[in-house]
Amino acid sequence: MRIAEHIYREFAAVVGERYISDKEYILAGDRAKTPEYPMEYHSADIIVLPASTQEVVEIVKLCNKHKLSFIPFMTGALPYAYPNRDGTVIIHLKRMNRILEIDETDRYTVIEAGVRHIQLYPELRKRGLCYPPAAVGPGGSVLANMTSTDGSNHVQHGFSRANRYLLGAEVVTPEGEVLRVGSLQGDAGWFCPDGPGPSLRGIIKGYSGTHGQFGVITKIAVGLSAANGPAEIRSEGISPNHKVYMDHPYSRAYVFNYPHIQNVCDAMLALGEAEVCSTVQKYFYLPLTLMMTNSANEFWEKWEGGYKDTMNMPLVIHIAARTQKEFEYEEKILFEVAAETGGERLPPELENWWNEHMDYFMLVNRLQSVLRLGGGWMPNKIGADSVQHMCDVAEAMGEYIHEYTDTGKIFNAPESYQIIPMEYGHFAHIEVLFMWDRCKPGVMKGVGEFRARSRQEDIDRHFHSETPGSLMPATMDLGPLYSNYHLWLQRLKQSFDPNNVSNPMM
Amino acid sequence: MDKLSDLRFTMESCNHCGQCKWIMPAKMHGWDFSEMCPIHAFYHFDAYSGQGLLNIAWERLDGKLEYGDGLEDLIYSCTACGACDACCKVVRDMEVLDTIYALRADCAEHGTLPASLLETAEKVQTSHNIYGLPHAERFAWLPEDFEDDPDADTALFVGCSAYRQPEIALSAIRILKAGGVRFKLLREDEWCCGASLWRAGMVREAGELIRRNVETFRAHGIKTVITACAECFGSFRNGYPRFVETDYETLHISQVAAQLLEDGKLHLRQAEPLVVTYHDPCMLGRLSEKYVHWQGEIRAYGLHVPEKQWRRGEHGVYDAPRKILEAIPGVTLREMVRNKECNFCCGAPSAATDPELARWTGEERRREAAATGAETIVSACPFCREALDGDSGPDCVDLCVLLARRLCEEDVQ
Ligand code: SF4
Ligand code: SF4
Repeated sequence: MRIAEHIYREFAAVVGERYISDKEYILAGDRAKTPEYPMEYHSADIIVLPASTQEVVEIVKLCNKHKLSFIPFMTGALPYAYPNRDGTVIIHLKRMNRILEIDETDRYTVIEAGVRHIQLYPELRKRGLCYPPAAVGPGGSVLANMTSTDGSNHVQHGFSRANRYLLGAEVVTPEGEVLRVGSLQGDAGWFCPDGPGPSLRGIIKGYSGTHGQFGVITKIAVGLSAANGPAEIRSEGISPNHKVYMDHPYSRAYVFNYPHIQNVCDAMLALGEAEVCSTVQKYFYLPLTLMMTNSANEFWEKWEGGYKDTMNMPLVIHIAARTQKEFEYEEKILFEVAAETGGERLPPELENWWNEHMDYFMLVNRLQSVLRLGGGWMPNKIGADSVQHMCDVAEAMGEYIHEYTDTGKIFNAPESYQIIPMEYGHFAHIEVLFMWDRCKPGVMKGVGEFRARSRQEDIDRHFHSETPGSLMPATMDLGPLYSNYHLWLQRLKQSFDPNNVSNPMM
Repeated sequence: MDKLSDLRFTMESCNHCGQCKWIMPAKMHGWDFSEMCPIHAFYHFDAYSGQGLLNIAWERLDGKLEYGDGLEDLIYSCTACGACDACCKVVRDMEVLDTIYALRADCAEHGTLPASLLETAEKVQTSHNIYGLPHAERFAWLPEDFEDDPDADTALFVGCSAYRQPEIALSAIRILKAGGVRFKLLREDEWCCGASLWRAGMVREAGELIRRNVETFRAHGIKTVITACAECFGSFRNGYPRFVETDYETLHISQVAAQLLEDGKLHLRQAEPLVVTYHDPCMLGRLSEKYVHWQGEIRAYGLHVPEKQWRRGEHGVYDAPRKILEAIPGVTLREMVRNKECNFCCGAPSAATDPELARWTGEERRREAAATGAETIVSACPFCREALDGDSGPDCVDLCVLLARRLCEEDVQ
């Protein structure tokens, strides 16, 4: 037993014996196993599975009383979800998994933390509604994505960042108070994210999520959009060769390859200016080849066999129009823009992959296949600024990334970054998904060098492309680039969480 | 059988994405019926899932976790349904279920197996069936006037379920006879297929039985084994090659019957309309792909040299049972949300080790079946049939029983 028996009993009295454990093999299930991340991990002392906000409140109060840290936990795919010190309680929110409301008239849904994309998305689609799922894959928690990531997603050209869809929220503060954010506070419903005064949503969520440092978010409302296309999604085939179609006459995906990032940039800006297409993204060719193949060996065959050259700078487009006229108009503009900017359309066998995998646009499905090469990966940068700014970041990366790709320190795919415009080109997001050979001894040294270089180049060039995170030591460097946000965050953290028990990452 | 040390690459590749717990996106339907792992859905802790078991296996491999205190119970609550494996393999090159098997083998060697498993093993060894019933009565249900073809190189392997559900065996015989298939029964030479041993990690005991059974097939000149039980089917195709070279073909009765129907050799009579749903047994579906041992090197970035033949659930038996149901006059098939390679287990494999979990799993599956509006659940495995039968709601019938009942009388003469 890692914590004293009498303390364990107090927690057990809250959730019931069935929903608490300190057994080593149960803790092992949530012990971090990401050898590639250079973090010092610790085991949780206990895991509790509350069923209600009230239970979360009581757990949080007990943590304060006994000076135990706590971490709200869902899928556990990201490193900051794991205990970073001894004496930590994992509050696993998966039993709080209800869709509480779907308001079709005012277009929002209210959900608990345990609801996954794979559950919510089809439920909404049945009602002609949807939202932009963040790029984590179908098993990710919608609430965690909306509140603890930057909310970048693959359909944000026609939608926006997922965090703009976050409306009212219910939060258990680090000391165990229930905070109702936005219109919810005045019992006026869930539809509005902010109330009078400073944005509480901004404090608990901020730019990229505070990862449980400001308590436990138990319920949120998500703003919804109309979904073009059928209510039920047609699929065929047997895994891994599923095909998923959007049976809709005005839905179609297109892929163009470009000679240079500036051409891509021009195309993105032109499509944004014309306000056409629901998805526009310069995709990364390494994950793309992985998504299009069914094994690491097939990947290597296709990658070496020409994919990396044919699709080294692909611009993926999805048109989801409402009428024939609208569809024809958007397609006409798209073809004109592609012709003007030097986009070369991929052969049908490559482009059709997208039309046969429309679940990508709905759930960002198959994204996890980027890890098919065995792990050793990291999404890097993940910041946002103007479209041109992000393309400049990408171009600048070409000046130094070869020192790492050509020497085998990281996978040799120097253009494996994606840039996705948001809100019709208003701004854009960049993500460099780089990989390394996890099994190679000493490989982390080179990985660390690349990360440090990437960050330093951004600081030196005043680029806003590295993610300002949550008081992680590396992101302290970035604070000055972002209005010294880290100092504000520290002050807020101290006042909200005097005992420093809520996922104390620092 | 692989050992834990053979599976380190899998353990280290998992990033807790959680897809092993959730329905494959191509089958997404809504909030309900979206969980795939019975133990996770029931116990909720991540340790109870493919992902959690990988973590546990890794800690065992590195000597960081000891048996005792209930770890064995966790390991054997898992129904070994392989949903985690299939869901992970949509996007990964990992062997989740093989790691669970290897963990069981490790547990059998270093831990304390649950008493119910040891009892079953004892029964199999002494009585050659999982129930501990007299071996001499294995074929007691066979009609006196039954005649098989002693020269046939095809055997109908009846399986241990013959003791408890002889109607399934009799139906299989009626179908084969009606279709003019030449076959024989192994009678006193037929012993348990060993599914409960090899799937529980009892490697030594399973190996002995499996080698003995393969020798028996050879001694009888058997080239094709037909089974009416998914556990036997999956064992012959997926389990046996882990222990011994196999030189026989395995067919499930549904594959044979579907072919007979297509060839016009079976004739079916009209009957009352019946709305059914079909439950894919794990061992007939995603877990029935032929096991091909891979030995080689995993090079940088996952390159397997020589190339590995992955089992992702793609080549399970899914169409044959559905073709039969579609061919039966009056029968309407309504699919459950979790179907084919994405089916939800019936819970039967954990009936002895975790009866509460097994009961809940069966009920959950019945709830899904009822949601289709079906009057009857059809399965193609005696264990599933038993697990999915309930007091209220849809009844559960075995596929070959349903088919045999609908054969024209003149065909059955
Ligand atoms: S076992 Fe596979 S599907 Fe499950 S969490 Fe690990 S990588 Fe993801
Ligand atoms: S084999 Fe089945 S019960 Fe066992 S962990 Fe995998 S999905 Fe869960």
